[in-house]
Amino acid sequence: MDAQKVDLFLMTNGKYFESHQLLHIRDRLLQMEDTKWGILQTIQFKDPTIILIVSLLGGGLGIDRFMIGDTGLGVGKLLTCGGFGIWTIIDWFLIMGITREKNLAELQQVLY
Amino acid sequence: MIYNSKRLYLFFLAACIAGYGWIFYNFQGMQSGNLAPDVCLIKRMAHIPCPSCGSSRAVLALVQGHFVQSFYINPIGFIIALIMLIAPIWILRDFTRTERTLLKFYQSIEVLLKRPTWSIPLLLMLLANWIWNIAKGL
Repeated sequence: MDAQKVDLFLMTNGKYFESHQLLHIRDRLLQMEDTKWGILQTIQFKDPTIILIVSLLGGGLGIDRFMIGDTGLGVGKLLTCGGFGIWTIIDWFLIMGITREKNLAELQQVLY
Repeated sequence: MIYNSKRLYLFFLAACIAGYGWIFYNFQGMQSGNLAPDVCLIKRMAHIPCPSCGSSRAVLALVQGHFVQSFYINPIGFIIALIMLIAPIWILRDFTRTERTLLKFYQSIEVLLKRPTWSIPLLLMLLANWIWNIAKGL
C-alpha cells in the first residue's frame, strides 16, 4: 500500500496501539494490498482512555471488560464484587494495555 | 476473549483457590464471631450494595445446608457455588484427558452472552436482583 496512506492511518489511529507495535504495523500495512484500504478505514477501534474512565467508574461491575469484548471475564468480575475489589484495582492499571492488544487483534483480522 | 487455553485454565484454577480460601476464611470468622471485612468497592464508596453483594454469605448458607436462606440473601450465591464445584473437576478431567472442553464451553458461552436474546433478559434479572439487594439493605 502507498506509504502516504499508511502514514495517514498511523497518524489518526496510532494512539489505539502500543508504541512498540507501530513499526511492525507499518511494515505490514505497506505490504498489504490496496483493495483492503476501504475495510481498514471502517474498523472501529476502542479508545484506551475511554475504557480507563469506564474502568474507574464501573470496574466493580465489570463493565470495562464487557466493553472490550471479554464477556466471560466481565461476568466473573460482576459476580465477585469486582474480584473482591482487588481485580478492579489491578484492572485500572492493566485495562489500557489490554484494550490496545484487542485493537491489534482486530487489525490483524484484516491484515491476515 | 481468552484464546490461550493455558491462561484460561490457570485463571479458573486461581479463581477457584481464591474462592475456596475466601469461603474458608469467612467460615472460620463466622464461627469465632469475627466477621470478614467488606471488600466491595462500590459498597465502601457509595454505601449501597452491588448486585453481587452478599454472595459470600449466600455460599456460606449453602455450605451449612440453608438453601432457602441462601436464596433470600443473594441468588447469585447458587451460580458461584455451582461454578466453584464444577470448575475444579472439569479442569482435572481436561488435564487427565488432554482435552480442551472447558475452553470450548467458555468460548461458546461468551458468544451466547453477546446475543441480545440472552444478554437483555439476564441484564434485567441482574437489575432486579440489584434493586432487591438495595431494598434488603445487605
